[in-house]
Amino acid sequence: MRDFESYKDFMEKCSHCSYCEATCPVYLEDLLETHVARARMELIRAVLVDEEMPVTDRFKEIIDRCLLCTNCRQTCPVNVPVEEIVIAARNKLYKGKRMGMIKRKLLKQIMENRGISGAMGKLSSIAKVAGVKNIPDIPSKSFDDQYEAGTYPPEGEVRAKVVYYAGCATNTMFPETGDIVMKVLKKNGIEVVIPEGLSCCGIPAISEGDLNTASEMIKRNIEVLSKTDTDIIITDCTSCGMTFKEKVVNSLDVDDEFKEKAIAVSMKFREITEYLMDIGLTEKIKPVKEKVTYHVPCHRGWSETVSDAPRKLMEMIPDLTVVEMEHPEKCCGAGGAFFMENKELSEGIRSKKTGEIKQTGASILITQCPSCRSYIGNSSDNDLKIMHPLNLLLLK
Amino acid sequence: MINLGKDLSRLLSKDKVKTDPEDLYSYASDSIRYYAKNNPDAVILPSSAEDVSTVIKYANKNSIPVTPRGAGSGLAGGCVPVDGGIVLDMKRMNSIVEVNRGNMTAITEAGTVLSNFHRAVEKENLFYPPDPQSMSVCTLGGNIATRAGGPRGVKYGTTGNYVLGLEFVLPDGEIINTGGTCVKNSVGYDITHLMTGSEGTLGVITKVISRLIPLPPCKKTIIVGCKTAELAAQIVSTITANGAVPAMLEYISQGATGFLNSYIKTPLISEMEAYLFLELDGIESQIENEANKIRSICKDLGVSDIRVIEDAKEAKSYWDARSKLQPILQSFFKKLIVEDVTVPRDKFPELIRALPEISAATGLLVGAAGHAGDGNVHPSVLLGEVNDETNKKSEEAVDMIINEAISLGGCISGEHGIGLHKSAYLEKSIGKRQVELLKQIKKAIDPDGIMNPGKIWTREAK
Repeated sequence: MRDFESYKDFMEKCSHCSYCEATCPVYLEDLLETHVARARMELIRAVLVDEEMPVTDRFKEIIDRCLLCTNCRQTCPVNVPVEEIVIAARNKLYKGKRMGMIKRKLLKQIMENRGISGAMGKLSSIAKVAGVKNIPDIPSKSFDDQYEAGTYPPEGEVRAKVVYYAGCATNTMFPETGDIVMKVLKKNGIEVVIPEGLSCCGIPAISEGDLNTASEMIKRNIEVLSKTDTDIIITDCTSCGMTFKEKVVNSLDVDDEFKEKAIAVSMKFREITEYLMDIGLTEKIKPVKEKVTYHVPCHRGWSETVSDAPRKLMEMIPDLTVVEMEHPEKCCGAGGAFFMENKELSEGIRSKKTGEIKQTGASILITQCPSCRSYIGNSSDNDLKIMHPLNLLLLK
Repeated sequence: MINLGKDLSRLLSKDKVKTDPEDLYSYASDSIRYYAKNNPDAVILPSSAEDVSTVIKYANKNSIPVTPRGAGSGLAGGCVPVDGGIVLDMKRMNSIVEVNRGNMTAITEAGTVLSNFHRAVEKENLFYPPDPQSMSVCTLGGNIATRAGGPRGVKYGTTGNYVLGLEFVLPDGEIINTGGTCVKNSVGYDITHLMTGSEGTLGVITKVISRLIPLPPCKKTIIVGCKTAELAAQIVSTITANGAVPAMLEYISQGATGFLNSYIKTPLISEMEAYLFLELDGIESQIENEANKIRSICKDLGVSDIRVIEDAKEAKSYWDARSKLQPILQSFFKKLIVEDVTVPRDKFPELIRALPEISAATGLLVGAAGHAGDGNVHPSVLLGEVNDETNKKSEEAVDMIINEAISLGGCISGEHGIGLHKSAYLEKSIGKRQVELLKQIKKAIDPDGIMNPGKIWTREAK
């Protein structure tokens, strides 16, 4: 994420066409044009570039009320990087201090540990029991607890070798997804390297506009990942994928010594489902007698196949019935931690999503995004099972 | 002393009234940024015709201008609040009240987004053809107010052909219903179609009764590369003269093809002076018949690049790219002046021929991309730099485009409406007496002139 100044030309690129009205989840909730990308771009220019309008609480609210879901950018005929401009505007407005000091320190600690685990995990469970809402369940054993750093050989002949980057959410909220990734890779002849010393991809800090912390995490990861010797780095999380693919390189200065290494690492990133659909499965696929529907993660713009791959995989599974919901690409309202500060807005967005899911009659919701899995899972409809596409290969 | 925000919040609810400077700033223009002159003084988001009526009564009593607004995706400045006042954002009134299969009609609120409406009627195997390229966001109310159209105009006509009735709020706040769900209606003056194209100057459309037709079961996309613009024009007129009527027949000039290539799998060839995008629809045998006819016309005229796209996903990529063309050009150039002149279909080649001459005379880029099949080809003036000289030259180019179209028996707007953009040319297009008639009608319906002032005709011409 470059500094604010370097985005001025990108803002000028907005043609004012209004096509972003079609997909912005925040705008679609209250239908007020101020909250759509076209107006955000104009306002950011008027307030922070031309300074013809003052910074007000309302302006801050408009900048804060963005999920950074990138749907506007994907709809934009000229690909204006709206979410990066909003992040840069947050950085200029708050200088990385949008949250209070305690929250910032806590977030940094979580990022360094790749998620909430250990004592903090217990604390969050206590808080949940005590009635603090919106805190996801934290399993007692993290992915790191189950899989130490090292090389994991596959069953049979080695077809390929990959590095597995398990992000914060997989590490501590959904360690079973990490376990499934490991098992599927193993069964399909792929050797897996888990490196030592990884951090969060940086997206929580990026979203806050806290680019210093983000760049700390990014540099740590690049240092670790560039020492590995595979051509492919796997992620199961579409947001980690987006960060490594699009944001990491952008976040470094042109003359940064890490730049070259960062580009090399970034090029290697693949989402697990699309990787497997490319390389092919050798293990026989077991039938699954279920009806499923696929929620496409918002952070999909970094790869052309990341949303086709799960559909391809589902087609390959015998007995599986796949029903598309009306707007599979529409955001669920989570936006990382956005839902915690924008409860009403996020719940409104989520209820539309869950309504569409219900209409399909599916018993399982498939999506690669852990944030969506957690947030949709915390809605009142408890009959729905929610899982990563890879889970379908190991369903009992 | 009136306090708009306070008064209207009391009359409606607080959530429907916005007066923060940031909100007002966001409602100052439509798709063309340079039309923005003034912010409104309040933005109102009504949820019923009664809300609209309440606002209008208040505005009437206090002589406050009211500018209705759909998606703000217009290209003529029609929803720009030139005198400030109230902007009525109609997008929260978006219910599809009824899709009646038996009668092949639908009733919708005016803020319904067109593509949502398309999906709803197509689920019932019915078809609502109008397809402005902003259909993913534009509203039915806005479409009716501007008599919007799109590529399918060539076979199916524009919005005006599908309006059977309206509910609208008169400038005194009274809610009235015109027309109805009958497909025939010969009762008195046709107020429904007077409102259609009235650009918010006669009242606020709140509900729409639309005529629907059966959904064509099949479609096919054909892409034709033309070595010369002349050849493209010749193909278009030969197709029309041979009785083949594609659902869409779009003309893309050489300068624009490069911009579309990033969206298309098999790139358009840059040496071609023009491309034609065609879609045929109907029953399979009819499509085959028309496709063969078009193929043989193209072959006879020596076309080498003709692509019949069988894959639906690939076909969609061409049409998606086409729908993005105007925003792409607008982003790339410092200023884009999109004209909307329409000429009789058989005069389309002559209009195309005139554009290079206009370009040469003014030294500016003058391109065309639009609906060749119905003579509405959107000649555009593209400026790389904006200064006094280029502005003056662009005015000359626009003058020439308009004079050429009128001399060919054309009109100054086919589907965008007049708004601010073409008001200076109104008299040239329809004559002094008709402009006077328009003003008399306006005076009869909106005597105090509160509804969308400053549009359709210029004030100087008063």
